[in-house]
Amino acid sequence: MSQAGVSGPGGNIYDLGYQSYDGPRLGRRSATGALFRSALLACFGIGRGGRAKIVPIVLGVLVVLPAVLAIGISALAAQAPGSGGDALENASPVRFATYHGLIVILVMLFAAAQGPELFGRDQRYGVLPLYFSRVLTRIDYALAKTAGLWVALLLLILVPQALLLGGRIFVAPDPVTGVGKEIASVPLFVAQGLLTAGLLGSLTALVASYTPRRAYATAIVIAIFIIPPIIVALVGNLVGDDAARILVLLSPGDVLDGTNAWIYGTIPDGPVVASLALPGLVYLAAALVGIVGATGLTIRRYLTIRA
Amino acid sequence: MPLIVLDALTKRYPGGVIALDGLTLDLEPGIIGLVGANGAGKSTLLKILLGLLPPTSGRASVMDRDVVSQGIEIRQFVGYMPEYDCLPPDLSATDFVSHMARMSGLPGGAARERTAEVLRHVGLYEERYRAMGGYSTGMKQRVKLAQALVHDPRLLLLDEPTNGLDPSGRDEMLALVKRTGTEFGMAVIVASHLLGEIERVSDFLVAIDAGRLLRAAPLTEFTERTGILAVEVEEGGDRLHDALVRRGVAATMDGRIVLVPLDDERPYDVVRDEIVTLDLSLVRLEQRRKGLEDLFRDEVPA
Repeated sequence: MSQAGVSGPGGNIYDLGYQSYDGPRLGRRSATGALFRSALLACFGIGRGGRAKIVPIVLGVLVVLPAVLAIGISALAAQAPGSGGDALENASPVRFATYHGLIVILVMLFAAAQGPELFGRDQRYGVLPLYFSRVLTRIDYALAKTAGLWVALLLLILVPQALLLGGRIFVAPDPVTGVGKEIASVPLFVAQGLLTAGLLGSLTALVASYTPRRAYATAIVIAIFIIPPIIVALVGNLVGDDAARILVLLSPGDVLDGTNAWIYGTIPDGPVVASLALPGLVYLAAALVGIVGATGLTIRRYLTIRA
Repeated sequence: MPLIVLDALTKRYPGGVIALDGLTLDLEPGIIGLVGANGAGKSTLLKILLGLLPPTSGRASVMDRDVVSQGIEIRQFVGYMPEYDCLPPDLSATDFVSHMARMSGLPGGAARERTAEVLRHVGLYEERYRAMGGYSTGMKQRVKLAQALVHDPRLLLLDEPTNGLDPSGRDEMLALVKRTGTEFGMAVIVASHLLGEIERVSDFLVAIDAGRLLRAAPLTEFTERTGILAVEVEEGGDRLHDALVRRGVAATMDGRIVLVPLDDERPYDVVRDEIVTLDLSLVRLEQRRKGLEDLFRDEVPA
């Protein structure tokens, strides 16, 4: 090693030459975890330029807005005298059962905007050989990226409902009964959140991994959400409900509408989904098949891609 | 223990293209030049050694580990610089290289320290905080080398490291590669189709053509002296040639240069005497070395 020193009035600068690394090498699990964290942060534009933060901030504000409004209504209701408060409370359109319907389009737009960049850039810029020549496997890579998107979507869904929960407990006449009344909703919105984040995240990952061009991938993700419900409605009208009952299970938006109605015991938002009257478990099964199938195909994509 | 062992290694791509054809070879640590024309199978060999591509048949092992079953263990200690662009333009060199260090399993703090260290070594200073989209080709090649070095590998695989560089960029990159192999104590395999470059950095050479091994030997054997004496005089080369022929030396002309076969020491005296007799000005008198180009000229049918 060279030890050429440069002396000056402020001290000495030594060129110590090349230093080898003797520290820990944490291996595959650590690398996969680091990739998951960077994927999650990238979904929110963290570690990217200023422009990358616009979409997450705008959509983040929009998904929280109904919760803020609802807390305001609850606060008013708590102050209203007599049964007027209950009436106001019951008339509020923002409840846990309706939150999915209020924000699902925003969640889908978030996935359509952020997913393609997450999966497409490594393919567009030829970075995959650098990942695959390191300690993680192709499957690790695919799962870490997909999981990053899942968790980002889950946060987008759960944070506003956690706010709503906190707000409702806070404005209740006494917090103990408030907790008792509201806590039962937690497993319901967590379950629906897991299904929504899982299905939208997996489908977006699948589309984005096969479509490196960002604009195309975004358009396809939006189309997968918007177009099938129209087809289901048309087929229902023209061919009959039996055909529509099969097709509706291929429509991710309708499937999630179905699981939400089943979980909360309410009527689905979509009139077609409501009229088909399929058992809720069928929608749950369709969502799970969608999650597993799409993730499997995403993994397949990375196992076969040339790098 | 050899660094790399190849045993009848064959790679056939779908569609029938044979990239590697029964390559058998043991390689010891050092700076190894891998030469061959474009499409000779160099990149395919590097990718198989990394476990990026499975071989069709045959076996390969790196540091005594099988490339198919122990790929992850190998990749922990191997650095790879691909031939083509692999840098996202919106990231800075610092962010990118440190991310790649994490992808090799280094803890966060160590990843940042190593990133600073290797970027300094490849000669990227203030610009390392800028987005890489604005980098020159030379700077991009340095970042590519830095990401291959950041986890302090024992073996470095460089695929055409001077690709797209101007002559001074080439010199700097080759000096860096040489320093990596000697000062950093890493084994290096440099793949290139430019023989002149390989000659400057490697101490062992593997020449492949159409997926077959042409020759593997220390560089000195490739460039060993030939039995030809080249004589250059200022004017009157033809007169010297004629005089030598008259004295029974089978001299030939190569442009202005007189070539004299050297079977023993005698031609030296004859050449000296004739130059004095003819009163010529001697410019150069040297025993020719075999260039790498000669190897390919001799052994590869055009």
